[in-house]
Amino acid sequence: MAFACGAHMVAGLAVGAGIGYVLDRWLGTSPWLFVVFFFLGAAAGILNTYRTATGMGMALGYRPAEQGNEEGRPGATPAAGAEETKSQRGGNRGGQSA
Amino acid sequence: MANPLDQFVIKTIVPITVGDVDASFTNSSLFMVIAVAAVTVFLTRTVRDRQLVPGRWQSIAELMYQFVGNMVRDNVGSSGKPYFPFIFSLFMFILMGNLLGMIPYSFTFTSHIAVTLGMALMVFIGTTVVAFAKHGVKFFGFFLPHGTPWYIAPVLVPIEVLSYFTRPVSLSLRLFANLTAGHTLLKVFAGFIFAMGLAGVVPLAASVALTGLEFLLAILQAYVFAVLSCIYLHDALHMH
Amino acid sequence: MPQFDPAVWSPQLVWLAITFVVMYLLMSRVALPRIGHILEERETRIARNLEKAESLKKQADEAVAAYEQRMADARARAQEALRQARDDAAEDAARRHAELSERLSERISAGEARIAEAEREAIASIRDIAIDVAAGAAQKLLGGRVDRKGVTAATDAALGEAG
Repeated sequence: MAFACGAHMVAGLAVGAGIGYVLDRWLGTSPWLFVVFFFLGAAAGILNTYRTATGMGMALGYRPAEQGNEEGRPGATPAAGAEETKSQRGGNRGGQSA
Repeated sequence: MANPLDQFVIKTIVPITVGDVDASFTNSSLFMVIAVAAVTVFLTRTVRDRQLVPGRWQSIAELMYQFVGNMVRDNVGSSGKPYFPFIFSLFMFILMGNLLGMIPYSFTFTSHIAVTLGMALMVFIGTTVVAFAKHGVKFFGFFLPHGTPWYIAPVLVPIEVLSYFTRPVSLSLRLFANLTAGHTLLKVFAGFIFAMGLAGVVPLAASVALTGLEFLLAILQAYVFAVLSCIYLHDALHMH
Repeated sequence: MPQFDPAVWSPQLVWLAITFVVMYLLMSRVALPRIGHILEERETRIARNLEKAESLKKQADEAVAAYEQRMADARARAQEALRQARDDAAEDAARRHAELSERLSERISAGEARIAEAEREAIASIRDIAIDVAAGAAQKLLGGRVDRKGVTAATDAALGEAG
C-alpha cells in the first residue's frame, strides 16, 4: 500500500509540474504557473492518498455516495461492506469541505 | 558486474517505419506477441475437451474467467458486463507480461513506462468517453463534490481536475515502478552472488526470497491494475 | 534508464496497440465465449440434475406415504378382527357360563327337594317309632292299656319342642 500512496504523490506532483511547465512555456509566465500547479498537483496527490487511506480503497471517488448507491463497488476491496464504505465516504466528504 | 538496467534495453529485431513513425519489431514487441499467443493458447487448449467435471488446467482457465467476472461484477456492477472482455484482456495481458518477465533472459514489457502509460491512457480515455456518452455535460459535476461551499470551489475544482488527470499517471507509474524496481533489485542481488564469493549465499537467499515476492507482485500488480480500471469504469457509469 | 528514452516509445506504443487489439478480439470472440459456454452448460446441467433429484425425492416420498397408509389400514383391520374375535369368545363364554350355572342350580334345587323329602320321611318315621317306643315304654311302666291317641299327641309335642 505504501507503494500505492507513493504512486499517488509522485503522479500528482508530476502531472502538476508538467502542466505548469507547459502552461508557463506557452504563456511566458515562468515560473509562476509552474509553482502554482506544482502545489495543486501536490494537493491532488495528497487528496488521492487520503482517499486511498480512508477506505475508499484504491478508488478516486469524486463524490460520496448519496442515495443507496445503485449496485456494485462496495469499496475497493470486494470484501468491504457497503455500509462501512458509505460511512467512510460521509466522513471523507466532511473532511473535504472543512 | 553487468548493469542491472541492461535488462530493460529495447533491441530492434526487425526495423519497420510507417511514414514518420518508428514501428520496429523489438524484443518488447516479441514478448507482447508471445503473451497474447500464450494466453490465447492456454485459454483455448485447456477447455478444448469441454469436460463437465473440469481437469486441473481447465479449472484454472475457468477460475480466471470467474475471478475477473467477479471483479467486474463487484466493482462495476451488472452494467459493467459489456466491458468484461476488455478488463479480462487487460488483466491477462499484464499478468502474462509480468509472468513472462520472470523467466530468465526474457524481457518484461510491463516494466516500460511507455507500455504501462499506454494501457493506462487507454483506460483513462475509454472511461472518460463512456462517462461523456452516458452523462453528457453532467460529467463536469464530477469535479465539484456535493455540498462544497462556494468559496472553496475555486480551489477544490482545480485540485479535483488535476487529481482526475493524475489517474492514468499513478496507474501506470505503479505498475512500471513495481516491476522495474523488483527486476532491478533481483538483478543487483544476483550480481552480488558471484561477486561476494562464499559470502554470496546471503544475496542468494535474498534473491530466492525476492523471486517469490516478485511472483506475488506480478499477480498483485495485474490485479491492482484491473481493479482500478474497474473502479474508474464504475465512476464513469455511475458518476461518483 | 532505458525506459525514459523517447526513441523507444513509439515502437512500443504501436505494438502495444496491435497486440492488445488482437488480444481483445481473441478474448472476446474466441476464448471467453468458449469458457462462458462451458460454465453455463455446467450450470444448467447441475440445475437440471437438481430438479430431477427433487422430483425423484418427491416420488419416493409419495411411495413412502402410500406404503405407510397401507400399513396403517392393515393394522387397523387386524385390530378390528382381533377385537371381533375377542368379543365373540367372551360372548360364547358368558353364554356357556350361564347355561352351566342354570343346570347346576336345577340340579341343586332337585337335590334340595330330595333332601327335604328324605328329611320329612325321616321325621315321619322317627315319629312313628317314637310313638311306638313311647307307647311300649308307657305300657311297660304303667302295665295297662295306654291311650294311643294321648301318646301320639305327647310325642308330637315333644318332637315339636325338639325339632
